[in-house]
Amino acid sequence: MRRRRGGAAHLVVDPTRCAGVSVCAHLAPDLVRLDSWGYPVLERGPLTGADQRDAARAVSGCPRRALSLEEA
Amino acid sequence: MTAQAALAPDLPQPTGMVGLLDAPVTVGPDGPVLAGPAADLATHHARYGSAGGLGGGALLAALETAGLTGRGGAHFPVAAKWRAALGAGGGGLVVANLAEGEPLSAKDAVLAQRQPHLVLDGLALAAATTGAVAAVAWLHAGAVGTRAALEAALAQRHAAGVRELPVHLVEGPDAYLSGESSAVVAALAGLPALPQFRRTPAAVAGVGGRPTVVHNAESLARVALLARTGAAGYRSTTLLTLAGPRARTVVEVDAGQPFAALAGLLGGWPVAVLLGGYGGRWVAADRLALLAMDHAALRTAGLSLGAGVVAPLPPGACGLAETAAVAQYLAASGAGQCGPCLFGLPAIARALRALADGTASAGEVDRLRTHLGEVAGRGACHHPDASVSLVSSALTLFGDDVAAHRAGRPCGGASRAPGLLPASARAGAA
Repeated sequence: MRRRRGGAAHLVVDPTRCAGVSVCAHLAPDLVRLDSWGYPVLERGPLTGADQRDAARAVSGCPRRALSLEEA
Repeated sequence: MTAQAALAPDLPQPTGMVGLLDAPVTVGPDGPVLAGPAADLATHHARYGSAGGLGGGALLAALETAGLTGRGGAHFPVAAKWRAALGAGGGGLVVANLAEGEPLSAKDAVLAQRQPHLVLDGLALAAATTGAVAAVAWLHAGAVGTRAALEAALAQRHAAGVRELPVHLVEGPDAYLSGESSAVVAALAGLPALPQFRRTPAAVAGVGGRPTVVHNAESLARVALLARTGAAGYRSTTLLTLAGPRARTVVEVDAGQPFAALAGLLGGWPVAVLLGGYGGRWVAADRLALLAMDHAALRTAGLSLGAGVVAPLPPGACGLAETAAVAQYLAASGAGQCGPCLFGLPAIARALRALADGTASAGEVDRLRTHLGEVAGRGACHHPDASVSLVSSALTLFGDDVAAHRAGRPCGGASRAPGLLPASARAGAA
């Protein structure tokens, strides 16, 4: 389910797409930490405000298109 | 592999309404299950009465009243799946999942081979009630006994003019994960038979975006029984696979039957039992003794019957070494799609192997616990979660062994060939 504009949202990773590139952890360091193998462990939210803007940057920065913001 | 009926010295036979099996069925420890003669259509009708009975909303209500949950392992309510498909407008697929990927489980193959018409009745009821337009039976390659039983049963139904959707037999690879329901949906959509990351349940939008209702064989057989009896007359039983190193016995137990009643069939009182299968948990047999072997009762005790596997720790075996062998098998059986599973499960299996061998450093044992916390819940399917739950339960239940092995004193059983692995997997896991 895609998100309505303005509402709270969850950051979600499709683990079958993620290749552990870890760009997300640089773009949203407060929301993403990396596990022992460099794969993201996400702060699920619900995210609002500045957190949601960081999450949106991580979504658009992922070269694998593995991240999405979904309606909370 | 010959199949034979076994006597049940201690197990009270289910009474009252006729059940799924007349007596326990013993099959080999490995390889394709060959469960003996199937009931033909006339025998089936004589045993259970002709198909029909409840349908539509009345059947849905009966499924809900009886609390029927999926017997493939996840125990999701059957009626909820059907309502999801109906809510999405119907016009979809129903799938009898006969892949039985759990290596220790044999109950679905035994059921499909002994009572194929009951499974097919359930599939037809699921199709009719959810407004499906196609029906599929999903098998894994090499399931010769199950395939033969289904083909014969379908031919009998066709000859008798049974009015139902044609059932397409579709074969997938003989792999641990190819019975995982999202992998089944992927394969039917023309993709590799691998689990998918799904945001929407397949029952709402599965193959080609259509509602796709996937049910385990036992679940469908129970639907067929409930349609005949209604919830009030339904006898709630459970099929279990009692898995020993030399044979597996499939038994049917009435709800409320305690674990202790199975002791005779298990060949003695074990120390511990792997409950649910490879993705299950180790439980002390003494804790299970008086617990009823049905989903609801076990859930109340914080346990799960999973796919119905009951595998005792073989006498003299080391619980950590047995678990290490299974963990290694599971690590090698992943789909290789999700990083945490792809890297985490082998790391967990290696550390557990070192612990079982008595060669793990303190740091390695700490890392094992860290990895267990990192991997759970992070795959597209529940494969990593299942491995984590298995290994975590071993570290808890065999805690004394953990301390001894950590101190470099592995027990005698640690060097034995693992008894819980299928023979086909043993060579690579020793």
